[in-house]
Amino acid sequence: MIHDFVASWSLFRDSYLAGWLLALLLPMLGVLVVARDQIFVGAAVSQASLLGIASALRAAAWLSLAGVTWLDGDLVVSVSAGAFAILAALATAGGAGRGDSHESITGFVFLVSSSAAVLLMAHSPHGMEEINRLLSSTLIGATPVDVGVFALLLTLTAVTLALRGAELVLVVMDHEMAEAVGVRVDLWNGVLAVWLGLVVGLSNRVAGAIFTFGCLVLPALAARSFCREVRAMLWVAPVASLATAGVAFVVAHDLDFPPGQTTAFAQCMLLVAAWAARFVRARRGGA
Amino acid sequence: MSTADERATARPPHASDHSAAGLPHLAGDDGVLLRATDLRLAYGAREILHGATLEVRRGEFWFLLGGNGSGKTTFLRALLGIVKPRAGRLWLSPELRGREGIGFVPQHSEINASLPTTIREFVSLGLVGLRVPRSERGARVTRAIERVGLGALAGRDYWALSGGQRQRALVARGLVREPLLLILDEPMNHLDPDAEESLLGDLVALNRRDGLALLLVTHDVAMAERHATHVATFSRGNVTTRAVDPAGGAA
Repeated sequence: MIHDFVASWSLFRDSYLAGWLLALLLPMLGVLVVARDQIFVGAAVSQASLLGIASALRAAAWLSLAGVTWLDGDLVVSVSAGAFAILAALATAGGAGRGDSHESITGFVFLVSSSAAVLLMAHSPHGMEEINRLLSSTLIGATPVDVGVFALLLTLTAVTLALRGAELVLVVMDHEMAEAVGVRVDLWNGVLAVWLGLVVGLSNRVAGAIFTFGCLVLPALAARSFCREVRAMLWVAPVASLATAGVAFVVAHDLDFPPGQTTAFAQCMLLVAAWAARFVRARRGGA
Repeated sequence: MSTADERATARPPHASDHSAAGLPHLAGDDGVLLRATDLRLAYGAREILHGATLEVRRGEFWFLLGGNGSGKTTFLRALLGIVKPRAGRLWLSPELRGREGIGFVPQHSEINASLPTTIREFVSLGLVGLRVPRSERGARVTRAIERVGLGALAGRDYWALSGGQRQRALVARGLVREPLLLILDEPMNHLDPDAEESLLGDLVALNRRDGLALLLVTHDVAMAERHATHVATFSRGNVTTRAVDPAGGAA
């Protein structure tokens, strides 16, 4: 099994590397999302990036009729995916508390993005195919540029967490206390929203919605059950995610399964194991 | 003053500030940690406090009394630098090192109850924003936990604690900054009488034994009369202050 996987390395190297980098990067942000108990934000932002991709494809199709062809490029689609995801993350971060709950804003973003993306592509067979491909998640097609971008994002995220991890944990755990000790909570909330939108948007463009949402929240949820402290979750979640994705990619290659779904399913099983471990621990503690 | 003038400077207070304030204990400036003079606080167009004046010194135990919406919490938020004064002066002693020498204990913790955390981690979050060497951090956390009597439970799950123990952990999180002034916003809320009495005993000990100045918001007038050195009463946007005779009654 491993031998076959190694033999396929030259063919799928960029896909594997992009997937593993994302498997490390997404859970780092996912811990902060889970700490706030705002898990559905990941799905809403992911769907918003899908709307960004659909908008870029639709705009490119309209403009190509007028002879404008430069919009029909991968960069424009990626920028649009990131921009829509950032806007959605900012809307979910800032929209709550003004008469609507956080959940209602997030639900609205999810539904309007999902429906509008399909409507925009409804009469475009090629575009609809692209939307379905992203919805079902595939890592095939990642480029060396994608690998470089994700490596950069991972490095920046890891360095920020290493240097300002305690501050960020306090902001997401207890914003009143954070304000009281002089932390600029609004600034951090804005930075986190933009960063989450950027990472999820670009990840969704390359790896699709299921892989992105799965890697964002499932390892963090599992780490929540395994760990005794939040700061431990910040490194346990990425390590668990990478290990799961590593095994899932090998298994997917061997069984000819799509790696995105295989990874998400493996991470679901990891979460079930974490819940079981927590249950056993609680029983022992209570005995 | 017509404009907001919140300053945390080394400027010594002027005698004229005292006479205008009409405060107790105006013999000198020794030990003054903060002085609010005619502080006006507002949220947008709505003015919450029309001119709060009080002075807190080392070792004093202030109780802030008043009904809901009377501006007590807003006043605390101004002391913490979260709310900017619309007018008036807020002077902080250089001993407070900006606001590093102020500890804060909120009513309750906002932490998502599904998150794992130990008492040590919870208390260590109080160090955020301080430049404390890594080697010193652990010792500070241990000291703070021991000061509130939770030393034996330091490694325990925060969520396994009783309500009273959680409140003590909140106090420890404020104490880990090793403050000269500890601000507490209704820390006894939601506690049963035994836990309330126990926590209050700890706070009195911190005040009397360690000389820590305390500023505590409560609705409990009887408690204030028993333990306060000073009382500030908030009503309809106005604040009146008085010293309390340790033998009972106003000084």
